[in-house]
Amino acid sequence: MTVLVAYVPTPEGNAAFTAAVEEAGRRQEPLVVLNTPREGAPVSAAVASDATVEALVQRATAAGVDVEVRQDPHAGELADEVVRVAETVDASVIVIGLRRRSPVGKLIMGSAAQRILLDADRPVLAVKP
Amino acid sequence: MDFAPVLDGFGVVLEPTNLLYCLIGVVIGMLIGVLPGLGPAATIAILLPVTFGIEPVTAIIMLAGIFYGAQYGGTITSVLLKLPGEASSVVTVFDGHAMARQGRAGSALGIAAVGSFIGGTVSIIALTLVAPLVAGFALDFGPPEYTALALLGILLVSTVSSGGRLKALIAACVGLLLATVGRDSFTGAERFTFDNLSLADGLDFVPIAMGLFGLGEILYNLEERHRAVQAPTAVANVWPSRRDLREASGAIGRGSVLGFVLGILPGGGATLSSLAAYALEKRRSKNPERFGKGAIEGVAAPETANNAAATSSFIPLLTLGIPANATMAVIFGALLIQGVSPGPQLVSQEPELFWGVVNSMYIGNILLLIMSIPLVGLFVKILRVRATILAPITVLITLVGVYTVNNDVFDIVLVIVFGALGYLMKKSGFDPGPLVLAFVLGSLLEDSLRRSLLIFDGDATGFFTRPISGTLLVVFLLVALLPPIRAALRHRRAVPDPDTASHDTTKELV
Amino acid sequence: MTAAHGGAPTQGSPGGQPVAGPPSGTVLSSGPDGPATPLEELSLEEAIHRVEEAEHEGRPPAAGPLSNVLTAAAVVALGIAALVGSTRLGLGTVRSPESGTWPLLVSAALVALGLGLLAAARRTTDAERFSGASWLVLAGLATMVVFVAVIQIIGFEIPATLLTFVWLRFLGREGWRTSIVTSLAVVVAFYLIFVAALSVPIPHLF
Repeated sequence: MTVLVAYVPTPEGNAAFTAAVEEAGRRQEPLVVLNTPREGAPVSAAVASDATVEALVQRATAAGVDVEVRQDPHAGELADEVVRVAETVDASVIVIGLRRRSPVGKLIMGSAAQRILLDADRPVLAVKP
Repeated sequence: MDFAPVLDGFGVVLEPTNLLYCLIGVVIGMLIGVLPGLGPAATIAILLPVTFGIEPVTAIIMLAGIFYGAQYGGTITSVLLKLPGEASSVVTVFDGHAMARQGRAGSALGIAAVGSFIGGTVSIIALTLVAPLVAGFALDFGPPEYTALALLGILLVSTVSSGGRLKALIAACVGLLLATVGRDSFTGAERFTFDNLSLADGLDFVPIAMGLFGLGEILYNLEERHRAVQAPTAVANVWPSRRDLREASGAIGRGSVLGFVLGILPGGGATLSSLAAYALEKRRSKNPERFGKGAIEGVAAPETANNAAATSSFIPLLTLGIPANATMAVIFGALLIQGVSPGPQLVSQEPELFWGVVNSMYIGNILLLIMSIPLVGLFVKILRVRATILAPITVLITLVGVYTVNNDVFDIVLVIVFGALGYLMKKSGFDPGPLVLAFVLGSLLEDSLRRSLLIFDGDATGFFTRPISGTLLVVFLLVALLPPIRAALRHRRAVPDPDTASHDTTKELV
Repeated sequence: MTAAHGGAPTQGSPGGQPVAGPPSGTVLSSGPDGPATPLEELSLEEAIHRVEEAEHEGRPPAAGPLSNVLTAAAVVALGIAALVGSTRLGLGTVRSPESGTWPLLVSAALVALGLGLLAAARRTTDAERFSGASWLVLAGLATMVVFVAVIQIIGFEIPATLLTFVWLRFLGREGWRTSIVTSLAVVVAFYLIFVAALSVPIPHLF
């Protein structure tokens, strides 16, 4: 049983991480940080730099939580990847960050958070910054 | 030397249309240099239809801009991501990325930009002086000289191509055969047309180039298992310090000269020059162990050399009408489409075109220097575009673009056929470059050969009676026969080690 | 690297061949011999070689000797076919060459080179095996064939949209939404540029 957080280096992602660390501490479970970019481009803004990853690890360990960071790229939808990894790491809860999306925005660009909420087969903790 | 035409050339360059297309060319060049996936030859091939509606000089100015612009672009990814955007930027990875890790990415990019600019400019100046001389000398060339030169050019390009020599030569032969399709200019007979009306006039260069290079590359990349994705790197301070400039000045000077010389040779060019310049700097350095760890000469030398070579590789094309590499072959094709025959007479008969193109390179280099420094951040953002989105767009551009050439759907069929061929070739280790080069030279080669045989009354040894063609043919035979002989000797002498020997001999024999 | 276009090793290949590299740290080669020496400690030639090998990292493995033999045989067959064709065109002599003389020379060279390739077939390592991903290539080609087949009947808009959609959704594994929206946007852009602005006479429906 682990706590899985879907992380991106944004305010929403950081809020999710903070909540995830708390949650992992409360449940006494290890934390899995999933920072997975869409494959196909050499660079992606979704990837956390090494410095960021180190900072995250430090914050988690300082809170007494075991942490594992996964950064393998994925193909297809992010939501599907999150749900798949949740299964793999046997997550007891998935922590995600929420971003305000207008109805038009959701129509054109979709909402990964919405997909995760609907498709996940385990509890989801949605956090706002 | 008469400088009047040179100055007239500047007049041509400074026309607003030409300036605009120069800018477009160098920007596109930088973009594709940064993006993995498509290279200058493929991009130039895909943009060939664009050249139809514009003046020859404008077209070549743009295409040339793409070529040397790509040399600039490739550096950015080499330094920041350890991902060479161009083959000629591979060497830059060693010291460039090391510098980036030390927080000196800006210096690396800056010195690369400065070096590229100087290398390019030195090369253009040298070109200005050398080219008319070569062209004047070549006016004495007759069919035998052209035969020998074309043969040597094809051989040299095949020698250094990826995928091994044997396969490259096979590709070249296929290119020569494709060139025979159509009507024989001497006898009027139809060759290999299979009674197809569309083939009666011969195969069109444009669909072949667009298919082999453009579609072939995109299809080939579909099989690529994707690579690691990296976080964006912030680059601050993209300008070398005074100390950097001082330390790198020697490397830049030597790189320019070396690049210029190596770029002229068919088969030489930007990649070879960057390697040679790096090796030279390392060898003559007092502390060679600095190389690979962030030595600024390790960035300045190859970047200067590759731009110098890219510029000088225009010389054989513009003065002799012999393309030195695959990209030049495509530009050769572009000239032919425009009704311009590259050759020694180009300098004297079309001075505006010749000097217009040459002088545009000064402007292009200045534009690149101006853009590459402040716009690095922007170009790095381009790296976030996914290949999966670019691919279908490029495919459509190719399919629709080829149609615009003759408004003939048959051309679309051709481009798809050659796209499939290009894919199969790359898959089996055959380099499509020599095929296109040989195709482009095919008619010239056959023509010259037949004329030569007429001159010599059927006696092939006649080639050796003329000093130039004789020398060229001797060089041809040496280059052709020496490596296999050396390899065979080595194979016989050495005790074969199962793991390494096969790989070595493959590299030699093939 | 791609786009060499002017130089040694990867000269003729127009496409870029970017090199994979670990995101940070020294460049380590993922060779079969396990953890390797860092790039800085190798000689220049070895380092280039290592970097070129990394180029092939994301690609399917090398083809077996059978495929190489088949390829070589195909080359020889092509050469022989061209040879036969040349004889039919009339061989002439060196003194008075005819239409078939030059094709004869080239096809003879082709046969000879093909035989040479056959001899080296077992040792050749630069060809690639067909992999599962090769089906993607076939699919990509299929979309292009369909495109050219129907373009004159129903115009370019629909086949272009379908082609883009297939490339995005199935070959690129993009999401449904992205695929639909992007393919529509692309075709609209093409229409605006080629048909509206440039008046290219490409068959179009709208």
